[in-house]
Amino acid sequence: MRRLETKRTILASFLPGLTSLTKRGSAGWMVIIGSVIVSSIVIMTLISPWIAPSDPTAAPPVIDNPLRAPPSWEFPMGTNKLGQDMLSRVLCGGAVMLQVAVLSVFFCFLIGVPIGLLASYTGGMLDKVCSLVMDSFYAFPGLVLAIAIAAMMGRGVVNMAISIAVVYVPSYFRVIRSQVLTIKELPYTEAAQATGAKGRTILLRYILPNVVPSIVVVATVNFADAILTAAGLTFVGLGVGIDVPDWGWDLTKGFQLLPSGAWWVITFPGIMIVLLALGFTLIGEGLSELLNPRLEQ
Amino acid sequence: MGLRSYIIVRVLLTIPMILLLLSIVFVVIRVMPGDPVALHFERRASEEAMEEMRQRLGLDKPLYIQYIEYLGGLLKGDFGKSMQDYSPVGQQIFSAFPATLELAIFSVLVAIIVGILLGVRASRSYNSLQDHSIRAFGTIAYAIPVFFLGMIFQLIFAVELGWFSTGLRTRPTMEPYGLTLYLNEPAGGFVTVLLLALPVGLVSWALCFVVLKKKRVKFWPRGFLLSLPAFLAGWIVWTLAAWHFMSVGVLHMSTGLFTIDSLLEGNVVKFVEALKGLCLPSLTLGVVLSGVFIRLTRSNMLETLRVDYVTAARARGLKERAVVYGYALRNAFLPILTMMGLQFATLLGGAILTETTFSWPGLGRYLVSRINYRDYTAIQGAVVYFGLIVALVNLVVDIFYAYLDPRIRL
Amino acid sequence: MKKAKDSRKGVSTTVIVAAVILIIIVVIAGIYVYQVYLVPEEEVELKETLIMGTTDTVESAVDPAQAYDFFGWEIIQNTGCTLVDIEPGSSATPEDFTPSLATDWDVSDDGLTWDFTLRQGVYFDDNVTEFNATHVKYSFDRNIGIASPDGPQLNMEYDAIIDSVEVVSKYLVRFNLKIPFASMLGLMACQASSIVNPQYAGGWKTEWSTSDVVWYTNGTTARTRNPIDLGPYKLTKWTRVGDEDQEMELEANPNYWGADDGYPKTKKIVIKFYASSTALRTAIDAGDVDIAFRHLEALDIEDLRDDPDLTVWEGTGAAIQYLIFQEEIPPFNDSRVRRAIAAALDRPTMCETVFLDQTSPLYSIIPDGMMGHTEAFAALGDANYTLTQSLLAELGYNETNKLPIDLWYETSGHYPASEDQALIYKSSLEASDVIDVTLKSADWPSYRLNRNTGIMEVFIYGWYPDYIDPDNYAFLYYAVWLNHHYIDYGEHYAEMKAAYDAARATTVESERVAKYAEIDDYAVTDCPVVPLWQGKAFAVTKPDVQGVFLDITQTWRMWYLYAEVE
Repeated sequence: MRRLETKRTILASFLPGLTSLTKRGSAGWMVIIGSVIVSSIVIMTLISPWIAPSDPTAAPPVIDNPLRAPPSWEFPMGTNKLGQDMLSRVLCGGAVMLQVAVLSVFFCFLIGVPIGLLASYTGGMLDKVCSLVMDSFYAFPGLVLAIAIAAMMGRGVVNMAISIAVVYVPSYFRVIRSQVLTIKELPYTEAAQATGAKGRTILLRYILPNVVPSIVVVATVNFADAILTAAGLTFVGLGVGIDVPDWGWDLTKGFQLLPSGAWWVITFPGIMIVLLALGFTLIGEGLSELLNPRLEQ
Repeated sequence: MGLRSYIIVRVLLTIPMILLLLSIVFVVIRVMPGDPVALHFERRASEEAMEEMRQRLGLDKPLYIQYIEYLGGLLKGDFGKSMQDYSPVGQQIFSAFPATLELAIFSVLVAIIVGILLGVRASRSYNSLQDHSIRAFGTIAYAIPVFFLGMIFQLIFAVELGWFSTGLRTRPTMEPYGLTLYLNEPAGGFVTVLLLALPVGLVSWALCFVVLKKKRVKFWPRGFLLSLPAFLAGWIVWTLAAWHFMSVGVLHMSTGLFTIDSLLEGNVVKFVEALKGLCLPSLTLGVVLSGVFIRLTRSNMLETLRVDYVTAARARGLKERAVVYGYALRNAFLPILTMMGLQFATLLGGAILTETTFSWPGLGRYLVSRINYRDYTAIQGAVVYFGLIVALVNLVVDIFYAYLDPRIRL
Repeated sequence: MKKAKDSRKGVSTTVIVAAVILIIIVVIAGIYVYQVYLVPEEEVELKETLIMGTTDTVESAVDPAQAYDFFGWEIIQNTGCTLVDIEPGSSATPEDFTPSLATDWDVSDDGLTWDFTLRQGVYFDDNVTEFNATHVKYSFDRNIGIASPDGPQLNMEYDAIIDSVEVVSKYLVRFNLKIPFASMLGLMACQASSIVNPQYAGGWKTEWSTSDVVWYTNGTTARTRNPIDLGPYKLTKWTRVGDEDQEMELEANPNYWGADDGYPKTKKIVIKFYASSTALRTAIDAGDVDIAFRHLEALDIEDLRDDPDLTVWEGTGAAIQYLIFQEEIPPFNDSRVRRAIAAALDRPTMCETVFLDQTSPLYSIIPDGMMGHTEAFAALGDANYTLTQSLLAELGYNETNKLPIDLWYETSGHYPASEDQALIYKSSLEASDVIDVTLKSADWPSYRLNRNTGIMEVFIYGWYPDYIDPDNYAFLYYAVWLNHHYIDYGEHYAEMKAAYDAARATTVESERVAKYAEIDDYAVTDCPVVPLWQGKAFAVTKPDVQGVFLDITQTWRMWYLYAEVE
């Protein structure tokens, strides 16, 4: 009986959203559009080795393309300073950002969710101390902290993900904490406690399923922010090496070409970054509105 | 709880937070692998040379003593010495901060103006195409990397249209010096000082007046007479202070904010040049931030416009604009204020990228450049400074919010 | 009744607000127009002042005992004075040295004693103290005594060359050398040999230490921040925001010995510091500065060549870049591997693609335009993949068993276009099909540290000359401070060193040329260090600016610059 109940509880959180996405007006549409954008970019990145017209990391003397060529039939997105085909670089350049985003969310889940659940459920000193620590991190300008950590740890996908995760864990903590505090007071939780259920059981069976939707929303915002922060870190020189195709790198290097009017080197990678971040943001906002509907008249 | 007790509690809570923040930075900076001192020598340095550098920077002491000195130094405003040339990091930070402050102020202005105007429009035409496109704009604005937007703006307005040059904060020879009073000529100088001290007197008079009004003292005759001493005191004290400087010779006042300094100098050309320099960077950062304000204003206006007393106001026949901007906006003001405080951290982060894009000589660019130089003491100092500023701003916003909305003091 | 009142209230508020805003705008616009168009120009006429934009910054201090960066030396040269000068536009041969603070000089037959007769009637900026031999001794004793661990003495090693500086009489100073040194005049002309003003350099002392260096934080005025004097200009303003220089002002020094001849030609130079080459490019485009010198991107220079409102000046370069092999790490201790890699490089493509032919491929450690330059490394060729493959085949490397290399480059912008260069080198090395390149990078301080600890297998490095003489280049093949252990593993190190010492000691040009050619030939066989390219110097100015000299000395002589008033 209890197992069925919990399954129903989990489904109960998601079903309203899933079944009536399109019927829920703009919020539903946001989730759909966002998901479409994100999945197309992910698919594009995954199949890029096969669909890219040329190797994005090839450089002279192996290739012999015109340098800084504007978009044309041969190079639909133009070429950059070294004559590399921008279309190939745009198709393949999302890998780094997606990796950083996924890794950072993974780290956040690994660290933020358990701490959040444990601290807010247990309450007392642990809760107060954790809240204090998380609040100090939360108040800190995220990019500054990310830059400082990335500067100390060095370049690379993992280090970028870690610095972003450190900045984002407090958000997870806060959201989880406010949810857990509410659920703790609910009647069926108290009933479960009265019937002698262990803390762990309560956490996993009653609280966690109800917290999941909010975590998902925070995760999508985390994704979007991770992408923007990864781009920012690359821009200040803390990104990956130069022989990996990366939109952030194209923006950074393309900046030097602006005064001569070579607009195509920064525009296309930039638009891709915007689209990816936008996709996640739309999903996040749509989900958040679906799960916490605002009064509409 | 009363306002006073709330302030006390809030300030007391901030202290451990700041302490924690400082400690976190301390640990992060020291946790990196390798020896920081060895990085600053051209050749493989002798042990004595490295030891000497460590001593000069205080890095040879045990960690807990370093920690105590670090905290103690911060109380005095000492942020340590740069590893590049031993110059005081605090001095460097204070010289770079005004540029960031100016950028932040104008960006917030842009964000709020754009946010409020568009948010109100969207709320007034709920669920229309205008509403949806404004909301879309807001969402997209927040998803754009700020440096990308900066580059696009530079491309369009500086390179293609040529309206702006993006070299410096302001064109060469257009840097304002602020207020410089040469007080060597008695007559003209003294009169100028008297006139300039007048505003100080007026300000103190106004403050006194506000206090009296709170105590419900009538302005005439008691209020006026009571506040007159404040006015005279402010005026005379300031004149005397300036007179003291007369014997020193030069009174120099500059804020580091080019817009204000150029006005202090009385040079409108420099003022306009400073505004031109600020245009693109603050537009960039402001647009990115405005997304949040658009959404906030819109949702608040939607809620407020349907509340009873607003309907009542409409029934009384107040003009729509008065209703909107008068009643409704005033209620949205509070959340906007809080959001401003919350966004301040994001603002500073965005400022770093904006400064790098526009070669703006502020604290953000200082941080990035010091990272490239592996100047750990300077990095530590800059990060701490950022954290302190944000903590301070949050504190002020919270107190102000509590002053305006008694409900949250509970 | 109520309605009318309310509506009037509504209207008047909006109108008042709009009117106030309108008035403010009109007032500001009015004052702006007045001040721009109607107020007579009180500022100094532009031709009395020239504005120079640069992306350089003073890296350490403007103290000859500490400064070892290009820009620090640039300021020292324009505000200070040395015993001899080099004729601008010349190629710095022994005949091109001109009198500066010394009017005449003499060297003994054994080359160990140099006498300099000093110029009389030159005063320091207090207008009371006259320059004499004691100041020369003071300056050199101070420089050698301070021995800053990252200053010029690191490489120039005055104390290995100069035994003592002797005051023979008021206007006669004697240098007693430890070894005969052919490029003594070159040494005397370089910025580290500038004369300092004791009043600002720490006073008359006999014991010196690194804490005597005069930094930016010394005092609050530009005068207290530097110890130099006697030059064409005085440093009258130096501001920094954060850690970057913002502005410097140089004003004509009335005590300069060349003032009677009209130098400096422009009485005031304002230097504006830009954070990036893009910013500098936009500034010169917009006409904000009269001169843009260091650094503009290759692309920007090409673009600006087509601009009729600007002049692009091009001159001989003396900056070089080279590839270094860490011979402590096998298999780089085998010269076949080094030669194979050298052969696979494609310098012409690199120069063309990354630098748009604004640099030239270099086949000798001594750059073109200087005595001793050869084309030795052309023997190994460019993109000579057959040679690469055959050499590596001897060691068992082939298409299935590729030689793995870590190629390092720096990322702080210390060298131009490091990342692009690294990509091109990787591409050309891998095009040989027998090499597999992993790119690694570090910021400049870490890069330097890595060099000192010897962990970089193959890395890109650069060199700016201290003084103009092949002597200052040829030693790079085996330089100890490069830490590449050629001294330990190099087959021909002893011969190279002997040839270098011989070239240093003689003044006969043909002998020196022969010795440097010998060194280059050994280098091609051993490949400890592979020359890559040689840069050119560029400056962009408005068309009316004249007096720009971009010669082999790599110095920027501001006192020749002028722009005629129309």
